[in-house]
Amino acid sequence: MELKKAEEFMSKLIAEAAKYGFEECEAFYADDITMSVEILEGQVSSYEQSTSQGVSFRGFKNGQMGYCSTSLFTDDAVKFMLESASENCDVLNDEDREFIYCDENNKELYFSQLSDAYDKNTYYRFKELGLELEKEILALDPRIKAVDYLSIDCARGPILIMNSKGLHSYRDTDGVSIYAGCRAEDSDGSIKSGGHYWVGNDIDKFDMEGFLKKLSGNILGKMGARSCASGSYSTVFTNEAFMQFMSAFIGNTFATAMQKGLSLLADREGEKIASECFTLKDVPMFETALNKIPFDDEGVLTTEKAIIDHGVFATALYNLKSANKAGRASTGNGFKSGSHIGVSPTNLLVVPGEKSFDELCAQAGEGIIITDLSGLHAGVNAISGDFSLLCEGYLIENGKKGRPVEQITAAGNFYEIIKNIIEVGSDIINIPAGQGEFFTPSVLVNGVNISGES
Amino acid sequence: MLKDSDVQKILDVAMSTTADFAEVFQEETRSKSVSLLNSKVIRAGTNFSSGTGIRLLAGTNCVYVYSNDNDIDVLLSLAKEASHAIKGVSKGELAELQALCHSSATDVVIDPMNIPKSDTVDFLRKASDYAIAYNGLITQVAAGCTANDRLARVTNSRGLNKEDYTSRIRLSIEAIATKGKEKQTGRVAPGTMRGYEFINEYPVIEKTAECCETAMRMVNAGYAPSGKMSVVLGNGFGGVIFHEACGHALEATSVGIKNSYFTDKLGEKIASDVVSARDNAKIKGEWGSYETDDEGNESSDLLLIENGVLKNYLVDELGSRRMNCKPTGCSRRESYSYAPTSRMSNTYICNGNSDPKDIIANTEYGLYCSQMGGGSVDTSTGDFNFAANEAFMIRDGKIAEPVRGATLIGKGQEILKNIDMVGNDLECAAGMCGSQSGSVPVTVGQPTIRVSSILVGGRDAE
Repeated sequence: MELKKAEEFMSKLIAEAAKYGFEECEAFYADDITMSVEILEGQVSSYEQSTSQGVSFRGFKNGQMGYCSTSLFTDDAVKFMLESASENCDVLNDEDREFIYCDENNKELYFSQLSDAYDKNTYYRFKELGLELEKEILALDPRIKAVDYLSIDCARGPILIMNSKGLHSYRDTDGVSIYAGCRAEDSDGSIKSGGHYWVGNDIDKFDMEGFLKKLSGNILGKMGARSCASGSYSTVFTNEAFMQFMSAFIGNTFATAMQKGLSLLADREGEKIASECFTLKDVPMFETALNKIPFDDEGVLTTEKAIIDHGVFATALYNLKSANKAGRASTGNGFKSGSHIGVSPTNLLVVPGEKSFDELCAQAGEGIIITDLSGLHAGVNAISGDFSLLCEGYLIENGKKGRPVEQITAAGNFYEIIKNIIEVGSDIINIPAGQGEFFTPSVLVNGVNISGES
Repeated sequence: MLKDSDVQKILDVAMSTTADFAEVFQEETRSKSVSLLNSKVIRAGTNFSSGTGIRLLAGTNCVYVYSNDNDIDVLLSLAKEASHAIKGVSKGELAELQALCHSSATDVVIDPMNIPKSDTVDFLRKASDYAIAYNGLITQVAAGCTANDRLARVTNSRGLNKEDYTSRIRLSIEAIATKGKEKQTGRVAPGTMRGYEFINEYPVIEKTAECCETAMRMVNAGYAPSGKMSVVLGNGFGGVIFHEACGHALEATSVGIKNSYFTDKLGEKIASDVVSARDNAKIKGEWGSYETDDEGNESSDLLLIENGVLKNYLVDELGSRRMNCKPTGCSRRESYSYAPTSRMSNTYICNGNSDPKDIIANTEYGLYCSQMGGGSVDTSTGDFNFAANEAFMIRDGKIAEPVRGATLIGKGQEILKNIDMVGNDLECAAGMCGSQSGSVPVTVGQPTIRVSSILVGGRDAE
């Protein structure tokens, strides 16, 4: 749909809302245009293309904010949305006020970051690249038996927000991603799987050689893995593993979780909660971020801030509702979570240190490297911080990466882990997360409980 | 929904080049939900969405296009693009659409979509108020209910023209107990394809009390031990391990590309003698059921494993082409924005002969997982991991102290062979399953079973 048509529909929705008793209201439009090519056994196995749009409405009436969403843009849809949102207001009795917002000095917000390179994302380009990549992966080593999943995807989408206070906010983004997952078989018949991904906004910048090297390490390095003895280990979490680990607990820094009694960080801003060498920032306009975010989904301008500053819990992340409850200003972290406004980081950054990955291993001396964590949606208690997770990796022997390990669990507590970080590496990577990306290096942690062979 | 003549036009365009099969999937869904935190209604939402997916096949080459703009010209243009992208060898046959057939596996007396939200709020408040007053250790309680219905119409180049209606309700009650810095939860989340009468009949006070008891037990519990031991898995949601560690590896999605440790194992012994299992989508009113699958095939009651021997895979249209066998009526998708693929429905280990009490009594030392949480599996290697939400030690054949933080890990193909006792108390429990074609409602189930040895990843050495 053309943006203009969406705008007309939204204007009508906002104009009609007063008739249903809404004192303030907002319409939120998102458009998602995607394309995906999958390769299997020397052929395009799947090609997908899509366009989907939706509008969600929120309106303030009798002290409550009612929501409704639809993918239809008709006069009947206007009636349906306003009636439903009104019914929702009638049953709500939330004590904490939600806001429709417009900064008088920033009524018109506009930020377009669509890349010129997006037009390179054609079916034929993806197909050629995918087939070449599959061929190169299979040529890496005779033990690699299949590339079970190889997908090249791109997406672009604008977000338009209009409200009854005069806010007119537009932002958009695009991106392209590649993922390959393959299967290898050792001479003894044992099977290992592994994958690697790439994200960017220009397909020409895809570094095939670097991708193959990393993928090869991810899968062939695991061959011959076996369990190891249970015990407490000095542990290097690789950048990817540490990103996975942090993502499971980042919700504890959201003011919404704290105010619901679902985070142990409540009322602890200013307190030392982590190691001196650990700094975690929310950087909306991070220089190398693919998705820069100058304002949030409530029309609040975003700012760079340390969440944990040299171990001190500097600030939680707030949207307008949680900030009002705490008697402070929003941090510009109000973003849509499903249909409702929640809290989300923009681009997260673990500030890197000086040491390379190899130097972290050397510092550990004897220990373990964790490269993959499984079951993060189940094996963690996000509130208490307790975790027990299936993981894979390598032993560290004499300060160097040793034999691969599997069928082990790492167990402990998030709050203990961040206190026990003794060194932050310099090998920063970026992985899509939250509204943007998570940038993190590897870290060395003292004393992680590993369960393996008795 | 589109007129038959418009659907026929789309199929005409889709089949105009080299596709041997084309399908138009239309969907309309409505949903309404409310959620309470500590008896306050903090969320109430309503959604309506509709969209169309067009799939073309040429052998195992698949093109899928979708949009939620249901304008016929938009869809014809998408079909045209798809027809140019498909890579077949010759033009396929196109049959005329048959008369529309309707089906439904719902068992609804009171339509949940017609119930005022205020009634649902009153119901949820009973749970919330009761839990908050239950004990000083219970500090938060979240309660929510979501109702949705879906009308899905499948039409294809073979003339198939079917419409399937489903209506589902899911309730969740979660009590959180706090002790110092420790917080633990107890949760129930039943789901059904019955109507609002399910809510009216639900023993809400009894179930809320169970949630509170679990949360309080776990907040007072010590850490689970580490190491290999016998594990008794309670009935109901304990079946999630079978679902993950075995069920996914039987789907054509992985078997069809030989990315499953059960590839080419039909007729072979893959589990111990005491294990039989089914995937039955035909149970009227059950959360994971459906009458017609998302490719328009009739659903089935499929025997997966009989006395340890692998009997059937779960096969969809694309999988049937890769595996050279017939589809089994198990093709599903979250919505029109996913191409369908082979998925589970109501999957369970069948009843055995052991009394659950005897299973505990026959276990000298081990772990009893009375309530399982989620987990995941790698179908190529079999590596799985699961978290226990509530667990107890078993000592001298008796259930002993509660323990928390237990994760079970292992290889799917090994655990099936290590099941040495199966109880006679089969129960099913609702869940959501995420895979290639999105998140779909499923039930998992089993009687109480014992696995002779699993690695438990806890924090304390014993």
